[in-house]
Amino acid sequence: MRKETKVYPFCAIVGQEDMKKALLLNVINPLLGGVLIRGEKGTAKSTAVRALADVMPQMTQIKGCMFSCDPEDDSFWCEHCRQNFHREEGETVQRKMRVVNLPVSATEDRVVGSLDIELALKKGEKRFEPGILAEANRNILYVDEVNLLDDHVVDVLLDAAAMGVNTVEREGVSYTHPARFVLVGTMNPEEGDLRPQLIDRFGLVVDVNGEKDSDLRMQVIMRRLAYEDNPAEFAESYAEEQEELARQIKEAQKTLKEVTYSQGCLRLAAEIAIAMGVDGHRADITFVKTALTHAAYRGRREVEKEDLFLAAKLALPHRMRRKPFEDNAVDFDSIYELVEAAKDI
Amino acid sequence: MKTNSCFPFSAIVGQEKIKKALLLNVINPRIGGVLISGEKGTAKSTLVRGLADLTEDMRVIDLPLNITEDKLVGSLDLQKAIKQGERAFEAGLLQKAHRNFLYVDEVNLLSEHIVNILLEVSSLGVNIVEREGLSYSHPSRFVLVGSMNPEEGLLRPQFIDRFGLYVEANGEKDIDFRKEIIARRLEYEKDAAAFCLKWKRESKEIKTAIKRGKENLKKVFITGENYEFAAKLAAEGNCAGHRAEIVLLETAKALAAYEGKDNITENNVLEAAALALPHRIKEALVLEEFEEDSGDVDMETEEDKINRGDEREGKKEKPPNNEKESGNEEGKGEETAEETENINPVRESLKIEVTFGSKAKDKGSGKRSRVKTDSRQGRCVKYRLPKGKTGDIALAATFRMAACRQKNRKGGRLALNVRAEDIREKVREKRTGVTILFAVDASGSMGAKRRMGAVKGAVLSLLHDAYQKRDSVGIIAFREDKAEVLLNITRSVELAQKCLKSLPTGGKTPLALGLQRAFEILKTERIKNPEVLQYLILVSDGKANMAIKSDDPFEDSLFMAERIHNEGIKSMVLDTEKTYIQFGFARELAKRMDSKYIKLGNLSQTEIKNNVQQLIKMG
Repeated sequence: MRKETKVYPFCAIVGQEDMKKALLLNVINPLLGGVLIRGEKGTAKSTAVRALADVMPQMTQIKGCMFSCDPEDDSFWCEHCRQNFHREEGETVQRKMRVVNLPVSATEDRVVGSLDIELALKKGEKRFEPGILAEANRNILYVDEVNLLDDHVVDVLLDAAAMGVNTVEREGVSYTHPARFVLVGTMNPEEGDLRPQLIDRFGLVVDVNGEKDSDLRMQVIMRRLAYEDNPAEFAESYAEEQEELARQIKEAQKTLKEVTYSQGCLRLAAEIAIAMGVDGHRADITFVKTALTHAAYRGRREVEKEDLFLAAKLALPHRMRRKPFEDNAVDFDSIYELVEAAKDI
Repeated sequence: MKTNSCFPFSAIVGQEKIKKALLLNVINPRIGGVLISGEKGTAKSTLVRGLADLTEDMRVIDLPLNITEDKLVGSLDLQKAIKQGERAFEAGLLQKAHRNFLYVDEVNLLSEHIVNILLEVSSLGVNIVEREGLSYSHPSRFVLVGSMNPEEGLLRPQFIDRFGLYVEANGEKDIDFRKEIIARRLEYEKDAAAFCLKWKRESKEIKTAIKRGKENLKKVFITGENYEFAAKLAAEGNCAGHRAEIVLLETAKALAAYEGKDNITENNVLEAAALALPHRIKEALVLEEFEEDSGDVDMETEEDKINRGDEREGKKEKPPNNEKESGNEEGKGEETAEETENINPVRESLKIEVTFGSKAKDKGSGKRSRVKTDSRQGRCVKYRLPKGKTGDIALAATFRMAACRQKNRKGGRLALNVRAEDIREKVREKRTGVTILFAVDASGSMGAKRRMGAVKGAVLSLLHDAYQKRDSVGIIAFREDKAEVLLNITRSVELAQKCLKSLPTGGKTPLALGLQRAFEILKTERIKNPEVLQYLILVSDGKANMAIKSDDPFEDSLFMAERIHNEGIKSMVLDTEKTYIQFGFARELAKRMDSKYIKLGNLSQTEIKNNVQQLIKMG
């Protein structure tokens, strides 16, 4: 794919460490369940997501498959690959993980897919034309201003995200295909809240604020100006750092399979969940997964306290039962105490 | 797509009640399905999907939310019509679902129109299609399984009744259980295939149990006593119609068969009642009326429900398939300790269900919030002949119409010759809330501060409910010589909290100006979202003392009131007049706007909120 202008490099983003980390963790482990970035205008939310594309690792996929099926994992193959692909002799290609955009104005047809009009008119044949969800399989699905998305589009998104499968029964076509994607959303909370059901689907949530430190702010301005002056040159100056990051991600993906967790770690997750009165079990599961992934990111094979602190910060706040009239400020001290006191990690 | 490695049913920790309800339906499909209601992340859908592996002669058919009418009931086979000129019927989901499970995830988000079709077909057991020149009917008896999160809105009572059983899903409260859940999930994600293999034996055991149950089912007979007892239970619950008893007995029958007996014991009936009656009990509706009065009730019932739910959990009979759980038995702790047989659990269960009903009504059925829309937004549910020009063409339907008429048309270069008369447009349905604008008198009269405070509270609390009702709220305050927009029409609680930090009060009462501003805002809203209803809530004593056009401030206000009325904006006047001598200005104003008039005795946040909610409920 050729780009006309270089996007702002991921490594050049000043500060916003939590956001950057949350995004990277999701790239390393797509099963984390995505990330929701909440924050004021102009806090590099979209920039960060768009920049992610450049540091994403290569992945193997079946050649010619429009759902980017993974040749290794036959339980999530699409119908076509199931029938035509044989592991031994089938051709595969390497491609970068992509960021697929879901515009707020997207119609349901475009999201889930619909009837191929051209073929119907010309040949009188019925065929499914894949939509955005098909494209998003095994990639990142990015929704800017996710809180402004039409409710019914949110519904189908939830449906697909929950199942990892998109089932289409509309417009004269029936079709089912895998749709396992990393859901990344950005929003400005002042423009309306997100339904709790959808928030819960995001594995992690980060709140971003503008940097308060004047030195950092200056740096933000300087880099931005330098980038606008000459995007190509600016990107070039970060090329090495970007490569290093991409390599680190790749390494972490390998390490992740070997990271082990202890009973103490599970116990801690359950304890926190009960203490905080979260809904359901997604909180516990995501908490442990985040900790494991962060350990891998650091190149470790065991979970340490540092991983757990970060996991608590990213995976838990949005899952607490919120009472009316209360800010979402979470009593982190008590959670940190629990983490601090945990044994046998 | 058939994934051969979805999370195995047998590997799911806890949720015994749901598991049982599902298994009973496999053994005896005449029970008529189950509705699983519960918070997020409690393995609701995982359980149903896992069921598919356990049933040999029944499949689980998914009904996705994006479904359109034609795919549900079936339609003309487009390909055959064009290529062979044949008029053939292409089966819809209802045909595939015949003798199978029909599963709707997030069933409360299903479009109203689709629900209507489901209701009709499930009561007839037959799907009759009369469309596109086709006349076709086929049997369609399915076991309806739905899962939902009640926070997102509830189902129509009529639809709820179609589900044989009702169970609630709650997260496990026990640490060891929770630990086990995390561990299993992680193991599954690491290597799904290996995980499934590991649980194969347990799955097989369940399969055998189902098979045995199915065979036994034929032998189970219902005694006169069983009938009597079931009828008594249903009557006690004040259940409407006779479906309750029938489902109750079918469930009891399945339970007996599952346990390998050929007679139904009293305990079987009781256990069945806990599954079959909760959503059918009617007293709930009476209770709801006064429960609604206090604004905090919502939270209270929520809490109560959890507590009482636990109680029930502890008192339920030990499910027979518990043996294999024995490894976790010590973890169950308090639950098992209480498991001594309960003599009279019916009352207990009846009591619980009352909260179900009250909650259902409390949160609103969500029906009002669904409108057919003419804009191009919303979910497409069916098609119609366009009125005039349309830009929203339903392609599949248009092609089918054209396909029917190909015989008499000389084709061009394309396979399909489409003419104007074939064109069908989409009928879309959109869920919307209402727009509520408060116009508050912030002038110097006594109690302005309190008035503002109460309104602020009411607004925040209305907004808190807004995520499921999609309502948006705004506030303008009028005092001195201006009408200020304190909060633009919004759905964000966060924004409201920020904007309503300071509430200025004092000064004269420019009532007419306030009304004018309200009129402008609501009119703009109306243009932006024509399908949304607008409400104006005026909180004032009506004593205007600043004019805008004429010299008479009150005359001006009445003039504005009439304009508001003419625009079709619905309104309510909350009269705050407290003085000894009653002028009745506010009442006069209400008359002019043709609005509901309420004299506020004790100005409080809950009172305002309740009045507003009532107004909206009435439409």
